[in-house]
Amino acid sequence: MFSTILEQIINGIVTGSVYAIVAVGMTMIFGVLRAINFAHGEYYMLGTFGAWFAIDYLGLSYEASIVVGVLSTIVIAYVVGKFVMQRMVGAPAESGVLATLGIALVLQNTVILVFGGGYKFFSGGYIEPVSILGFSLAEQRVIILIVCLIVFIGLELMVTYTRMGKSMRAVSQNVECCEVVGIDVPQVVLRTFILGAALAALSGVLTAPVNVSVYGGMGELITFKTLPIIIMGGLGNVRGTFFAAMILGIAESLVATYVGLQFRDTVGFATLILMLMWRPHGLFSTQARF
Amino acid sequence: MSLTEVSQSQQRRDLRLPLGLLLLLAALSAPFVASTYVVHALIIALIFMLPAHGLNLLVGYTGLLSLAQAAFFGIGAYASGLLAVTYGTPFYVNVAAAGLAAGAIALPLGIPALRLRSTSFVMCTLGFVIIGQAIAKNWISLTRGDMGLSSIPKPHFALGPLSFTVSGTTAFYYLALTVGILATLGVWMIVRSPAGRNMIAIRENETLAESVGIPTWRYKLIVFMLSAVFAGVGGSLYAHYLTVVSPLTFQMYYSTTMLIIVLGGGAGTISGVVFGSLLFVGLTEALRVTPELRMIAYGLCLLVLVFWFRKGFAPVINRLWDSIGSAK
Repeated sequence: MFSTILEQIINGIVTGSVYAIVAVGMTMIFGVLRAINFAHGEYYMLGTFGAWFAIDYLGLSYEASIVVGVLSTIVIAYVVGKFVMQRMVGAPAESGVLATLGIALVLQNTVILVFGGGYKFFSGGYIEPVSILGFSLAEQRVIILIVCLIVFIGLELMVTYTRMGKSMRAVSQNVECCEVVGIDVPQVVLRTFILGAALAALSGVLTAPVNVSVYGGMGELITFKTLPIIIMGGLGNVRGTFFAAMILGIAESLVATYVGLQFRDTVGFATLILMLMWRPHGLFSTQARF
Repeated sequence: MSLTEVSQSQQRRDLRLPLGLLLLLAALSAPFVASTYVVHALIIALIFMLPAHGLNLLVGYTGLLSLAQAAFFGIGAYASGLLAVTYGTPFYVNVAAAGLAAGAIALPLGIPALRLRSTSFVMCTLGFVIIGQAIAKNWISLTRGDMGLSSIPKPHFALGPLSFTVSGTTAFYYLALTVGILATLGVWMIVRSPAGRNMIAIRENETLAESVGIPTWRYKLIVFMLSAVFAGVGGSLYAHYLTVVSPLTFQMYYSTTMLIIVLGGGAGTISGVVFGSLLFVGLTEALRVTPELRMIAYGLCLLVLVFWFRKGFAPVINRLWDSIGSAK
């Protein structure tokens, strides 16, 4: 009994790591743009499709397909960033919602148009189980955990010490002041956006071997999972996002086991609505940020 | 205002009335000149116009961007379908019940949601759609899950000895047209009333509105419920028209479509919503051959609207309307 719960919690932490890598990009984009990116899950999907294409059509190894998946997503994110996201600096919140909804529709359906809407089998990755502390865990899950930790430590360091991280924080605090002191705000927005999209793609490629199937509409579910996380974490808050993702991952895992699998995908929004009733500013933020 | 200006506007109004009557006549005669397929598209446009009117009250007049319309649309469709299939209640009871159910459910949902601002509010309303779909899928004893409800009867009216079933496309068109015109008049009356002006005040500056004594919280809640009632009635008509309801009625697609209709037509204008539903449902139907292209076109439409037509197409239509109205 106890070991089952523990196993579910470990599974939840792995799921949480996946969500965390996707969500942190979205929360950083919110930080600099004050806009929720409804198309964020689409970059997760694009990364996965890029990797699937590399393995199935180009015959590359899984490691190389990670590079292909992430790089192709970066190219697409650059185009979207140049033409759409940069225009959203200083635009009202509604514009952000509508524009990113539009991008989500375009990206998702273009992929379906090109590759078809059916489920595709992802044949790559390390799915052999390994035994750690008496628990059996697929190798890929261990990799996801390790990558998640590296990503978050890296982001913390970047946000605190590098020039790019500092300008990101500056833009998220006050756009006008940044313009006054000569920070190229559209450039910061573009870079943050590409970084976020690349992280989403990385998460997609890493998760694909665990999920096995790949399909055009998969990004939508990821977007819907990410939204409650970034709100719970406090919008624009990197550390808060990490813990909120873990909480959601574990909660989903427990609900799926003890309540019913079919309720797993609503856990996020149900928790979100309950949480907003007593802490409207997010779990890890003391004041309203927006 | 000079005298000449007055006479000019007088002249315009004289021409607008016959033009309006002409449009009404065109709407009334549509089933006789258009093909069944076009009439079907018009019915869908008229049905979608209802939740769009509701959303317009919320987005266009009160300034609250909501994605919950699909949830209330679905609640209306299910309420109506369940009543008709289980109890065989008459059509007007179903429509009223659908509107009331959506409005009643909007109350407990609106109380926590309306405490939030901009982005969080949008997110919370999106959550309603997702939770609604999960309930429709999993409360199998009530909703029959993924199978959905089928063979919902076509609207049936019984007045004493007279009884009449709205079975054909033409008959349903007139029913939808009647409901559509009533809803449009209803919205017009609401926005022309002092309440409508208070809503606009909230949209423009909520803090200022509150400080001059407008009970903003109560207004927002009532408009949220009202928008749900419109969506519920629309959902009811949709259920009776298609005669099937499934969990897919709770889809983001519907919320996105309603939003495109309102913002594309012109938020905060009634003519914009009417025009928007015809235009965007027409676009959807025209692109029905390839659903992927249809959604891509929708997405591009959203981008074009956001970046080039901030106010939607309403200013363009109004200018056209004025120029036609003032032409000899």
